[in-house]
Amino acid sequence: MALLEVRGVVGGYGEADILHGVDLDADAGEIVVIVGANGAGKSTLMKAVAGLVRIRAGSIAFAGEAIANAPAETMILRGLAYVPQERNVFPSLTVEENLAMGAYARPAQAAAGMARVFALFPDLVQRRRVAAGQLSGGQRQMVAIGRALMLEPRLIMLDEPTAGLSPKFCALIFERVQAIAREGVAVLMVEQNARPALAIADRGVVLAMGRNRATAPGPALLADPEIGRLFLGG
Amino acid sequence: MLELVNFYLLPGLVLGAIYAMSATGLSLVYGVMRFAHFAHGDLMAFGAYAALAAVDALGISPWAAIPIAAAATVPVALAADALFYARLRRSLPAVLLISSFGTGLMIRAGLYFVFGPTQTGYGMGFTPPLVLGALRIQVRHLWIIAGAAVAALALHLLLTRSRAGRAMRAMADDPDLARITGVDVAQVIRLTWAVAAVLVAIAGVFLGIDTQLTPGMGFNVLLASFAAAILGGIGRPWGGALGGLLLGMAEELSSFPLIGGAPLLEPAYKTGVAFAVLVLTLILRPQGLFRGM
Repeated sequence: MALLEVRGVVGGYGEADILHGVDLDADAGEIVVIVGANGAGKSTLMKAVAGLVRIRAGSIAFAGEAIANAPAETMILRGLAYVPQERNVFPSLTVEENLAMGAYARPAQAAAGMARVFALFPDLVQRRRVAAGQLSGGQRQMVAIGRALMLEPRLIMLDEPTAGLSPKFCALIFERVQAIAREGVAVLMVEQNARPALAIADRGVVLAMGRNRATAPGPALLADPEIGRLFLGG
Repeated sequence: MLELVNFYLLPGLVLGAIYAMSATGLSLVYGVMRFAHFAHGDLMAFGAYAALAAVDALGISPWAAIPIAAAATVPVALAADALFYARLRRSLPAVLLISSFGTGLMIRAGLYFVFGPTQTGYGMGFTPPLVLGALRIQVRHLWIIAGAAVAALALHLLLTRSRAGRAMRAMADDPDLARITGVDVAQVIRLTWAVAAVLVAIAGVFLGIDTQLTPGMGFNVLLASFAAAILGGIGRPWGGALGGLLLGMAEELSSFPLIGGAPLLEPAYKTGVAFAVLVLTLILRPQGLFRGM
């Protein structure tokens, strides 16, 4: 059984369903990349797993436990961390305070978590007392990912972690994502930069109109001419 | 010059300290809940009268009654939230605002019912002012300024050094993100009410000590408190505190006889200064004077 098992999920915002029966698996240490056109339901699927979007049908199991529609604030204690695409740091809090917020549910682990995050993102060390709102986009993304890693989650979900970043930062983020997965953490990622993301994906999931279109190892999806033409811009 | 300090600056500082404590609570509540709390002034009056009840029943000084006033006001704020605001949290801001107006009326009506409409005081009697050279300062004014400073320091330590305070600031930044990080939102909201209620209750006792008690005393300073909070950038407690100090001084200094013998503004129009500041701030600098506090 996979660490995360999403089966036939139907749901969306208010009356309008965006997901029409989506399946998704993610195993420990695996990088899973979700791609698809705008409005395909990529972010909504992630928010449904995070407990931020209600699902009307289907099931979500994490480590064998049903978590569908559980309150969002309980997810971090289950080992499931989520980094939204925008507004993913507390702008008026310092880098250190943002990271401390990541360990809010278990303050005793804050010191160890901070040491781990600073080892993963050494750039943050000298900016630790700077308000997160004053950081560059790339540094902010590091803070957001670092915050999510504070309590050693078993699954981390990243919604477009490289959106708006320079190629240098994109490469850095992808490289760190691989390092995180090597530690045995499952990484679930939505990416507009589909090609470089699929290149490192153990599993690529193509969504279209709220339904699964294709699932295969990332490089296999990249090699598929039809997927390339329809979803990856030729 | 000494007249300016003794009769305008010092009283302005005292009034400013009271505004500051009220505005800080307003700003906290606004920051954490995005909620303009119109019953805040009536909570202030409630705190002042709770102290009066303690003074009458126990024969203690109003200073000693401050902890009792604070302890009595916290449950009122928590009850208002549990009974009214929590149920309306997802409705339009205007609905929440009007509900707080209604809550304020209920509190005020309760005070009228129990204590009557007439002015009253803590019966502290007359104490001669301290004379420091040419400086004359009322002992009670000294205590009020010192008390407000201690409260500001305590709040600062709470917000920056404690886990709960950090969670309050995180909620003010982004409530959804705070939830994702595992913050118990309901608990942070309760703490925010408790802190705001303690601050405003102390402000109420201070106001009662400085002037008189009437059931409408808090409502009369509510708009000045909002003006102070907006002047400092609503949602930022430190801005609210500085806005309060500035506004208190501006009100008192507005009647200083700067030119000739006549006051700049008749003292009767003093409270109008708060409105002028409010309107000017909203037009010229709606984000407040102090960005990023």
